[in-house]
Amino acid sequence: MTYKPVPLPPGPAPGPAKPDQRGSENLLGDTVVTSTAEALINWGRRNSLWPFPFGTACCAIEFMGTVSSMHDLSRFGAELVRFSPRQADVIIIAGTITYKQAPILRQIYDQMCEPKWVISAGACATSGGFYDCYCTVPGIDEIIPVDIYIAGCPPRPEAFLEAIVQLQKKVDRETLRVSQALGTEPRRDRIAVGA
Amino acid sequence: MSAHAVPAADPSAAHREPIKAGLDAAALEKILVEQFSAKRDTRDRWNLTLIVARDRLRDAVRHLRDDAALRFNQLLDVAGIDYLAYPGHRGARYAVTYLFKSTVFRHRLALKVELDEDDAVVATLSDLFPIADWAERETWDQIGIVFSGHPNLKRLLNHHEFVGHPLRKDYPCQKRQKLSVNDPMIDQLEGVLLAQGWQVLDRGATGNGIPPGAPGTSLAGPGSESQPAPTGSNTGAPR
Amino acid sequence: MKALSPAGELVELMTINVGPSHPATHGALRAHCALDGETIIAAACEMGYLHRGFEKMIEQGTYQMVLPYTDRLNYCSAMMNNIAFCKAVERMFGVTVPERCVRVRVVLLELSRIIDHLVCVCANLVDLGALTNFWYFFNVREEVYKIWEKLCGARLTNTVTRIGGMYRDVYPAFADDVLAVLPLVESAVAEVRGLVEKNRIFIDRTKDIGVVTADQAIAWGWTGPCLRASGVDRDLRKDEPYYGYDEYTFDTVIGQTGDTYDRIMVRMIEMLESASICRQALAKLKPGPINTSDARLSLPSRSQVYHDMEALINSFKLIYEGVRPPAGECYDALEAANGELGFLIVSDGGTNPYRIKVRPPCFTQWAAFGPMMQGAMLSDVAAALGSINIIAGELDR
Repeated sequence: MTYKPVPLPPGPAPGPAKPDQRGSENLLGDTVVTSTAEALINWGRRNSLWPFPFGTACCAIEFMGTVSSMHDLSRFGAELVRFSPRQADVIIIAGTITYKQAPILRQIYDQMCEPKWVISAGACATSGGFYDCYCTVPGIDEIIPVDIYIAGCPPRPEAFLEAIVQLQKKVDRETLRVSQALGTEPRRDRIAVGA
Repeated sequence: MSAHAVPAADPSAAHREPIKAGLDAAALEKILVEQFSAKRDTRDRWNLTLIVARDRLRDAVRHLRDDAALRFNQLLDVAGIDYLAYPGHRGARYAVTYLFKSTVFRHRLALKVELDEDDAVVATLSDLFPIADWAERETWDQIGIVFSGHPNLKRLLNHHEFVGHPLRKDYPCQKRQKLSVNDPMIDQLEGVLLAQGWQVLDRGATGNGIPPGAPGTSLAGPGSESQPAPTGSNTGAPR
Repeated sequence: MKALSPAGELVELMTINVGPSHPATHGALRAHCALDGETIIAAACEMGYLHRGFEKMIEQGTYQMVLPYTDRLNYCSAMMNNIAFCKAVERMFGVTVPERCVRVRVVLLELSRIIDHLVCVCANLVDLGALTNFWYFFNVREEVYKIWEKLCGARLTNTVTRIGGMYRDVYPAFADDVLAVLPLVESAVAEVRGLVEKNRIFIDRTKDIGVVTADQAIAWGWTGPCLRASGVDRDLRKDEPYYGYDEYTFDTVIGQTGDTYDRIMVRMIEMLESASICRQALAKLKPGPINTSDARLSLPSRSQVYHDMEALINSFKLIYEGVRPPAGECYDALEAANGELGFLIVSDGGTNPYRIKVRPPCFTQWAAFGPMMQGAMLSDVAAALGSINIIAGELDR
């Protein structure tokens, strides 16, 4: 039995556009890409997340490892570490939060501009970890809303990268209506990554 | 020495001499027992720990620091211990252990002061060793020992709204205490300024509107009102 | 704030908080400064933002359960804390660990000292704007992490020692891996020294900044590299040798003036000395048991547990109850990367520690920071703070 190639369907006929095909795509050809405003803005936000590393303890050292050249956070567009909350999109809580630290964390979160996201890195930030005592906050979601939880004590750099990837997917799903809800905190769907 | 060695003509060459052999435990014990009526700690098995009466502590420490044959010139740590739950313990509830070390001689020593529950006060060493300032603040914070004469006995590790002393055996481990507002720390800053001869006229915005010297915002001088009352063991201890 | 200077001038002082969240405060520290122009007139320092109840938590469990907590004291060199704690408890038992264990511990101690100094120096240089060195040093640190992972699976918080020995013997290629990493350390140090040592900007920002004289450093109770940078030749490895440090030839590195430059350079050169100690210890590493045979501390082998009733009971008691050091109080210290790391252990003869007081080396350095910064410029805070290497985990416990 001989093989017969399946004929390809005929392509669009070359030549000028027909007069009844209107719309900007047909008028401008390949020179312009059109999209929705939402997709365009999310594309920009997703690929240039500027993190604020709120590093208090061991997890901050692993975050340094994530930024360093072996793991290289800049592959995901998030290497531009900002230490001013006003310039940051995502705050990474890396380390134990104590009650002495809690008002500071809240203040810094409030100083960040919308849209903003929160990554809770490691066991201590997520649940207090094995420091279950008089001075530690049992999970930062008592203080601020959290988008991504990373497991581990401390999490490996791969887990930090996974958190950034998951956050990018989440940013893509957001609508402008939610992220523009100034004054009220938008509803968050929570994601857990890591071991 | 390595690349950073200094020529021997340097006036601080004494700091680069090898450490000298120090006194052994028996000799140290003899000095402190004879001169300061110290006694050997019964729990002492590995380190030389001597118990001194609290009114002899400062004399003993000054002698240890300044005597040419002793030169205990480093206070390593101040550790408060609460013996409330210690099996079979009869005696004072608290103890403060001071760990000393010398950079001249190879010897170490621990001095211990025993303090009763209703009178947990001991004289400060912060004028003899600058590091004692913070170490005593930590001991006050964690165990609740009052150091009389301390310039600014504030909490160090816990926040300023914390009540009680967590390392006491009767403080429940999981008893959490929240903080509402951070310490503006203006009193500490003014304390440093005052010590250098400055005079604060107006606190401005950083003082949260509190005029200088207002009650409860003491300028942290010696004997000021930030000093807790000497009935230290009852200040905020949870029962 | 308005204030009268000692000379009687009316000065408008600006108060500014460096920290608790500031790029130069690695961890959470706070220095409240009063400024006249850019000059610091007074600085009040604060700590405790990472006080997570170490000393209370470890009273709740057994001695073995303390080990994971010690990892998180100085998390830049977790193994040093493990070994320091185990050494203190072993001293209470009067147990000496086998020679192989001692050699392995020395290698781990010195490698930990190297990676601790790597983080300290590279973070300090980042604060000064020299970002390239961060990449160079962190690459080496990642190589050491690979050894740690082969050793125990964890990168940062290892819990690799046990009271009376190690979690297990090192893997067969351990010595080869360490010997392969040491040249990387040396070349990275050479590269970074080449970049900064004679760099005009670096020298201007670190020379005569944050000077602490020898007498001041001693009075403040400083130990370790910061004390040595001030010109005091004191190192517990030389002065009170433990783990056979007197068998190794190495130099203590001392500085001249005790400024930020000296503190950075002392750490740089100490890394080379540590690499040399690692090589000497590996050369003396011989096969043998890694754990003590003392039945109070070490688990019996599996075959003994399966065939011998006493061994089964002992294994059961060690795991369910834990070790019981004799009652008494013991202080033991070793030369950690930052200085003298000591543990004062109060035992009541039971399975749980009655009280453990940690003597964290950077406590003394942070306590001295306020007086150290008086009269300096605000921009010097970042340079000097990085050089005294404050690790919040052990500072606040």
